[in-house]
Amino acid sequence: MTFHAMHAGRKRRLAPYLFIMPWIVGFVSFTFGPLLFSAVMAFFEWPVIGSPRFIGFGNFLQMFTKDPQFWKSLGITLKFMLIFVPLNLIIALLLAILISRPVRGISVFRTIFYLPSVVSSVAIAIMWGWILHPEYGLLNYILSLVGISGPHWLSDPSWAIGAIVMASLWGLGTMMLIFYTAIKSIPKDIYEDAIIAGASPVRTFFSITLPLITPTLLFNLITSTIGAMQELSLVLLLTKGGPVKSTYFYGLYVYRNAFQFFKLGYAAANAWFMFIIILLLTLLIFKSSSIWVFYEHEVAGKQS
Amino acid sequence: MKKAFVFMMCLLAVMAVNAQKKQTIRFATWDSEDTLAIQQGIVDKFNAANPDLQVVLEAYGDDFDTKLAAGFGAGDAPDVMYMWNYAHYKDGLEILDPWVAKEPPSFKADFYKALLDYNSINGKLLGMPIGYTTHVVYYNKDLFDKAGVSYPKGDWTWDDLLATAKKVANPSQKIYGFAFQQQPDPYDFEHYLWNVGVSYLGPDGTFNKGFKDPKVKALLTKMQNAIKDGYAISVDGSGSKEMKTGKLAMFINGSWSIPSLKDAKVNFGLCKLPSVEKGKKSVSVVSVSGIAMYNKSKNKDAAWRFIKFWVSPEANLMRLDHELPVLRSVVEKEKLNQDPIKAVFYDMLQQSEGWVSTSYKVKDWSTLSDTISQALENIFNPSVLASPEKVIDGLR
Amino acid sequence: MKNRKSAKITGGKLFVYIMLGIISLYFIIPFLWMLLTAFKTESEAFAFPPKLFPSEFRIRNFVDAWNSQPFFIYLRNSVIITFLTTLGQVLSSSAVAYGFARYNFKGKNILFLILLGTMMIPWDVIVIPLYMEFKMLKWINTLKPLIVPAFFGSAYYIFLLRQFLMGIPKDFEDAAYIDGANDWQTYSRIFLPMMKAPLILVCVLNIITVWNDYLGPLVFLNSRDKYTLPLGLAAFKGMHEMQVIPIMAITSLMIIPPIIVFAFAQKYIIEGVSGALKG
Repeated sequence: MTFHAMHAGRKRRLAPYLFIMPWIVGFVSFTFGPLLFSAVMAFFEWPVIGSPRFIGFGNFLQMFTKDPQFWKSLGITLKFMLIFVPLNLIIALLLAILISRPVRGISVFRTIFYLPSVVSSVAIAIMWGWILHPEYGLLNYILSLVGISGPHWLSDPSWAIGAIVMASLWGLGTMMLIFYTAIKSIPKDIYEDAIIAGASPVRTFFSITLPLITPTLLFNLITSTIGAMQELSLVLLLTKGGPVKSTYFYGLYVYRNAFQFFKLGYAAANAWFMFIIILLLTLLIFKSSSIWVFYEHEVAGKQS
Repeated sequence: MKKAFVFMMCLLAVMAVNAQKKQTIRFATWDSEDTLAIQQGIVDKFNAANPDLQVVLEAYGDDFDTKLAAGFGAGDAPDVMYMWNYAHYKDGLEILDPWVAKEPPSFKADFYKALLDYNSINGKLLGMPIGYTTHVVYYNKDLFDKAGVSYPKGDWTWDDLLATAKKVANPSQKIYGFAFQQQPDPYDFEHYLWNVGVSYLGPDGTFNKGFKDPKVKALLTKMQNAIKDGYAISVDGSGSKEMKTGKLAMFINGSWSIPSLKDAKVNFGLCKLPSVEKGKKSVSVVSVSGIAMYNKSKNKDAAWRFIKFWVSPEANLMRLDHELPVLRSVVEKEKLNQDPIKAVFYDMLQQSEGWVSTSYKVKDWSTLSDTISQALENIFNPSVLASPEKVIDGLR
Repeated sequence: MKNRKSAKITGGKLFVYIMLGIISLYFIIPFLWMLLTAFKTESEAFAFPPKLFPSEFRIRNFVDAWNSQPFFIYLRNSVIITFLTTLGQVLSSSAVAYGFARYNFKGKNILFLILLGTMMIPWDVIVIPLYMEFKMLKWINTLKPLIVPAFFGSAYYIFLLRQFLMGIPKDFEDAAYIDGANDWQTYSRIFLPMMKAPLILVCVLNIITVWNDYLGPLVFLNSRDKYTLPLGLAAFKGMHEMQVIPIMAITSLMIIPPIIVFAFAQKYIIEGVSGALKG
């Protein structure tokens, strides 16, 4: 029993609330109101120009039964998430490990991997749009030099999602940086025991490094999943949902319902549905995390 | 003496306060960087000439629709705005007929009638025309010279165009004769239907005797065969990027590609759209830009004053380089119907009178356009190239 | 590494370098292309076969692009917003994360779940109600909607910092208590210094996110004197055609501050916590 637990006085019980107060105020002021409003909107037919009309569950009924695009977009987005998130995590982690090694000139690579993530999405879309051009683009040109006839990345429905994955992964520098910070935050003395015992780098990684960065892994897993499910700007700029709607992600579906078809109520219903899906996914991940995420130095004393 | 002095000070104070109490008008445009400077110049001129008003230029760029929708949705749209998509925004725009009626008759008469029609819905004028474009054929003179083919002349047919494309193309060197759009814009695409004599919707309001007309299917099949035969390609965008590589001979677009092709120093020429039948004049869709007023604006009188200035001959002249003037007086004065590039557009405009886009006539163009867009994409996407017969017959 | 079976040192190093090399191509070629295209002429940019290097390095492109719009004003606005939001986030997110990480209190799990929930809300559905709220406050067309919320913490950073904080043993609170420190002192004197690396990380992340933020400024700002750099960049993209060269030029200029920030941050993160936790 630590002092911590023994001295739970009144002051101590107030403290946590004071610490989280800024967020609570912010939430109430800037998030809760609009959130509630959008939830209400989901039950209305709400044109951008004109007056709203209450229709109860009409939007949801329409979504689930009369709008095949809803299911298609949901499917495409889930497929993207299942491809993108693992790739994103694994490659970012791999790169983070590579750049945390004391190899000569490693800071050059660190910069190279990170730089793309600071470029604005407008430039990224234009860049990749031209690189992936089926006839005149750089990628197919390089492929042609080794005798491969590159696919029509942006016009072929079966390849377009691959193009989005390629362009999205290009910006994984941020995730890599987060992993890198986590790896570097592990105090060196923890490794001392392992080094003395003669553990190989691989063993060290799996027994010490990996378990200690699982909290960060959880963070990246959740944020990457949420990001993938909500992907919009790259699709909007690069493929516009095409070709033949093969990259018509759910985020784009909501956006178009709001700003092209001017159906704000319907878009609100769409958005709330996605919100619930993401919530469920996150809960699932969190539930599983009790098995594989370690918060304390539980492994510090483990010998290899 | 003292009283007079105090009185003077009070008067000056009142004048100062009133001078500061300018009425602010918000004016939104979609123009991008190169033309914004000119627009700002026009705005500044107006502000200088009208000290009691302050027009603020809001440049929304490519996300114009998103920004405008957000404004309308929140009940906070700009007072004056550029407008092209009347079908979409019609319920939020002020009807301008009563305002125009207060002006002398010469005001309205100076506009081309076709343009006024394109800025109206159901006979109600919702915007004053400020610019327009028809579609024309862009051709790369260097590629034509290289292939030894003479430049196209205005009165030709699609068969002529495709034959020319074939002659100029050299697929083994990645040189192509013509570029189709792989995701055609239904609004623009309709003029191909007009050229065979129909619109999207037939007299009964369905695709029968409209989009489903066999002549339409025949034309689309012909176009698709050009892609299949390899001398034409289907691209993302208009085709201007491809022409800049120096490997594309022709594409069709409005006047928007002219500045960037000039920047890229492409040696290009323009000519009229081909018709489908020999002897018939071709028709083009007209894309207008108009200037409209928010029907819930609190500054309508001031807004109208600004609108009048923006459509005046003076302002038309200031925009001469990047917008085709819409006033007959300006066109005559500047002899624009003799300019080698601009004349093509005015000719097409005259030829296209009488045809009105379906988007102006239906209640829900967004959904209709989406259906048509999907069908067209299935036909023109180079990896799909679905049979036009099957696609169109499958439409409801 | 993960796939390596043998323990040969030289083989391992070579493998690392090869891997790094191949992966680098994927990252660097598009980046290089973007940078070099900024120096090209319009026709060179679209040349086929693709030309990587321009025939002459036209600095003029940058000057022209910068002068075509009031970019100095955009720069000023971007700097103000970036600086203030970073300050706000560091102050607020760290405190809130501390509350969630180091205490047990009633409602903690539900509140944290709500916090996470806020990350999942698609932007385009709250944008219009948010716009209406800011309109009521008369904050539209000011920089306030883009700055003020940052002083109340952001779920993303709170979550990130909370994860870091939860990895620190409870012994520290106990030690602090023995020394007679109150909650605030425990936080500010003991934990905050330990959070240097993740806080730097938050700075870097926030700077880059806000610097490139497009949607927020697009919706809440109307007149050009309030615009930020991304809006200026987007102005080169018209509805029908876009001017590739100015876009590449301005983008190349825009990435300079984030790169500088990253260079500094790198140093800190390496040195950061290596000797911080003792015993």
